[in-house]
Amino acid sequence: MACMNEDGQWIVLMGLLVAVALFFLALIINQSALVGQTTAEGVLEFPKNDIRDLRSAVFDYIDASCDSGVKEDIVAISLERKNAVVSFTADVTPWDNNLYMVDLHYNNGVTVYNETVYY
Amino acid sequence: MVNNAGQLYTMEGVAAGLIMLLTAYIVVSTTSIYTTGDTHIPDMQLEQLGSDVLAMMDTPDIDGGTSELVGFVKKGTGIGGGNDLQDEFLANCKMRSGDPDDNLRAQVYLSYRTLGGSVNTTLLSSPDPWFTGRENTVRVTRWVQLSQQPGDMPGDMRTDPQAVLVEVLLWRA
Repeated sequence: MACMNEDGQWIVLMGLLVAVALFFLALIINQSALVGQTTAEGVLEFPKNDIRDLRSAVFDYIDASCDSGVKEDIVAISLERKNAVVSFTADVTPWDNNLYMVDLHYNNGVTVYNETVYY
Repeated sequence: MVNNAGQLYTMEGVAAGLIMLLTAYIVVSTTSIYTTGDTHIPDMQLEQLGSDVLAMMDTPDIDGGTSELVGFVKKGTGIGGGNDLQDEFLANCKMRSGDPDDNLRAQVYLSYRTLGGSVNTTLLSSPDPWFTGRENTVRVTRWVQLSQQPGDMPGDMRTDPQAVLVEVLLWRA
């Protein structure tokens, strides 16, 4: 051991550092392949279109003079086909007969949405 | 008597072995990707496309008018009804530049609350002959409000004003 040539050890050490750094860069590139999946999953999970469609259905319900059967339809079909608990009320405001205060609640187990809107 | 000369060589050998194992692990883990599949991304795009097309079809041409979608649903399973809704929906989905996307297929369902209070789902368009049930489908829906019962529907459907849910099953064959 005593007779070993100890020249050039720094070069070997730096070479090792560069190699390890390259591996870490490769790991980062590897992980970046997962990014699109998580984003797509997030978009698929979030019921943006469902909520917007529900809002327009509630406004249509008000336009159709608040038929109680239509309200029961929306609640029952939401639960059965959209896996969402929906509850809403639409009351005429005391200061304007054509203005309704709509209280809207939506919960599909992942996303909860509550809104009070005047229509 | 145990000879304890050369112990340092043994330790060096063990250290070298560990370094080689670590290197092999890093090499394998940096060059292979563990994902369950990237079908989520086309699914998301298809769902967004379907939702947009339904929203577009549900928009009346003039203020206070009836939308195309409501017109189709009012005809039920009859002429100008579910099958035309399916055709029009697919035509709108394929309306893009580049290749015509002929593999896109759809099937239209209608969910309604029956006289007895339960929710029933019925096929509005004629069934797709190539549909096996194993396709990677997405489902897009749209609320429609009807003032009367659509034509050619099952007998348990109510006749008073009601809200029904149009469901479109969309997939690539």
